[in-house]
Amino acid sequence: MRYVKLPSENFGEFFNFLQRLGPTYGPVKEGKTHHFREVKGVSEMDLNYTRTMLPPKKFFVRPRERLFRLENGWWKEEDGERPFVLFGVHACDIHGLKILDKVYLSDPVDPYYSKRRQNAFIVGISCMPDEYCFCKSLGTHFAMDGFDLFLHELPDGWLVRIGSVRGHEVAWENEKLFEEVTDEDLRHFKEFEEKRANAFQKEIPQEGLADMLDLAYNSPVWKDYAEKCLACGNCNMVCPTCRCYEVCDSWVDAYSSVRERRYDSCFMESHGLVAGGHNFRPTRLDRFRHRYYCKSYFDPSSGFNCVGCGRWDEFCPAGIEHVKVLEEVRGSLR
Amino acid sequence: MTGNPYQSHDARILEVKDLTPREKLFTLRFIDPEINESFTFKPGQFVIVDVRGFGEFPISLCSSPTRKGYIQLCIRKVGRMTKFVHKMKEGDVVGIRGPYGNGFPMENMEGSNLILVAGGLGMAPLRSVLWYTLDTGKYEHVWLLYGTKAYEDILFRDEIIHLLKHGETMNCTVKMAYEIESPSCIYLERGFSERVCRGVVTDLFRGESFDIENSYALICGPPIMYRFVIRELLNRKLSPGRIYMTLERRMRCGVGKCGHCVVGTSVSMKYICRDGPVFTYWDALATRGLI
Ligand SMILES: Cc1cc2nc3c(=O)[nH]c(=O)nc-3n(C[C@H](O)[C@H](O)[C@H](O)COP(=O)(O)OP(=O)(O)OC[C@H]3O[C@@H](n4cnc5c(N)ncnc54)[C@H](O)[C@@H]3O)c2cc1C
Ligand code: SF4
Ligand code: SF4
Ligand code: FES
Repeated sequence: MRYVKLPSENFGEFFNFLQRLGPTYGPVKEGKTHHFREVKGVSEMDLNYTRTMLPPKKFFVRPRERLFRLENGWWKEEDGERPFVLFGVHACDIHGLKILDKVYLSDPVDPYYSKRRQNAFIVGISCMPDEYCFCKSLGTHFAMDGFDLFLHELPDGWLVRIGSVRGHEVAWENEKLFEEVTDEDLRHFKEFEEKRANAFQKEIPQEGLADMLDLAYNSPVWKDYAEKCLACGNCNMVCPTCRCYEVCDSWVDAYSSVRERRYDSCFMESHGLVAGGHNFRPTRLDRFRHRYYCKSYFDPSSGFNCVGCGRWDEFCPAGIEHVKVLEEVRGSLR
Repeated sequence: MTGNPYQSHDARILEVKDLTPREKLFTLRFIDPEINESFTFKPGQFVIVDVRGFGEFPISLCSSPTRKGYIQLCIRKVGRMTKFVHKMKEGDVVGIRGPYGNGFPMENMEGSNLILVAGGLGMAPLRSVLWYTLDTGKYEHVWLLYGTKAYEDILFRDEIIHLLKHGETMNCTVKMAYEIESPSCIYLERGFSERVCRGVVTDLFRGESFDIENSYALICGPPIMYRFVIRELLNRKLSPGRIYMTLERRMRCGVGKCGHCVVGTSVSMKYICRDGPVFTYWDALATRGLI
């Protein structure tokens, strides 16, 4: 890893340079929540945010997007994607994107996702956890790759980790804005990370979790929670690793049609429905449990499908807490 | 096929044949001769049929890769898309993408006995296997145990009757069980009293002795059929690793992206479209929710 320092006084100029790479999206506060929005200046952003409502996946898998347009009976691929900058992404969300990569960039590569991934310049930023975060217990609180630049807060600027050749090129081009990292900066960096590590209030004990959950398939805890759940699908929308989509053809006018995809949710009855009315997940219990299993799937090659961002807990209208459910399910085995 | 994996290729309908009041057999050929030449698949794989502007749906390939230059799909009319396709005629064009899924491990099974167990529409993928075994002649003996509702519902009726008559000369034993009595069925039963009976598909195991050590079973049918057929096979000591079944789920992408066909728990997640649709009974024991 290469490290440089960005002093506070150069931050604005650095940000202005990034804007030349393409439209820049950063965390903006609206009411009580934060959202990634297009920003024109540093002052529009709130860099002390904990989480945005929708994770940055919305830039790669759109809530609703066109795949094809019908032209003379033949599908024409929709494109027009331009380079853009994602500014201020937290480590957990970077891990979320890496999990999406495993799905969308594995053979066969999804061309829409892959194009946007290549077009994105990602600038990560350090953060302090709130009462919902549990990324540390999942090992997703620190990103070693998956970004171009990563900014770590220092008292008088930012310690910048350079994560890609493109990140390196950007830093190089703006050489005069950066300084060498000093021993004092490193001490501050270390102090920040230690303070952060101690600030976590929630954790999922990973050890043996996958197996315990599988064993607890018939646990009554699933049922209790499934009855509380409103099946609204909020948790799917805000999840950085939920990726289910539905495909829909529609006619724009009498001659032209488009094929679109949009986020789907496994809490919807239609998710497992096939012709003839047969449903592979007929009850809310089936769907609730499926969601937990999908998120808690332990992939031997990549670990859990959950990054501990805390969005579920913050945005569930029924007040269902991910970590608590898993703990209770595990507890019910005893 | 490189490029956009969601792009389908034009295929012309060469022939439409009514198999039953609900099912039609479509014979298709890719318009691009290069694709037509290079398109190959394994029995048990499926394609996605794309009616551009209206939607897509998955259908098993029911022809055999040994017959080049065309593919066949047996489509049951059940809902919006399948109704639409049933209105199509010879000469019409649809989009096809695929083939998808793993298919049956035909090569590993060479030299063995195959017990094909089909219920209803499950006949479609197994017909591909059947033709493949007959065309290649690389299998010891093949049984087809086929359960159908009534005479009118027999899929590929001509082929079934032909094999009832002449199958043994090709090391192939066809047996059929029907549920609803009719003069035609009784006529068939009289002609082939050993092999046609009234009942369900598991009745066809009666009196049959397979060389179980050297056998594989390939099952396809409605979900409830699996339990009974598998019990029968396990009673005969067939290893769960030698029992293959093809499964169905809601599918959108066919290539492991859209998430609809995902099953399993925290220790085993499977995509039916990519890791299946063919699974062994062992997979089902190790993966909750598979069957
Ligand atoms: C691997 C596989 C192989 C199949 N092989 C065959 C075959 O050889 N012959 C045959 O007749 N049918 C087969 N099917 C079932 C066939 O895909 C459905 O009957 C068809 O999708 C129904 O679409 P519809 O629009 O007519 O029905 P509707 O009930 O109107 O369906 C509504 C929507 O749900 C989806 N859907 C409904 N049922 C299914 C289903 N079973 N699987 C996936 N998506 C579904 C469809 O995409 C459709 O857009 C297969 C399914 C799978 C998964
Ligand atoms: S199945 Fe449910 S939990 Fe899994 S990715 Fe899809 S929407 Fe998310
Ligand atoms: S957000 Fe809460 S209430 Fe809504 S579907 Fe998810 S768990 Fe259920
Ligand atoms: S059909 Fe889309 S993931 Fe299997």
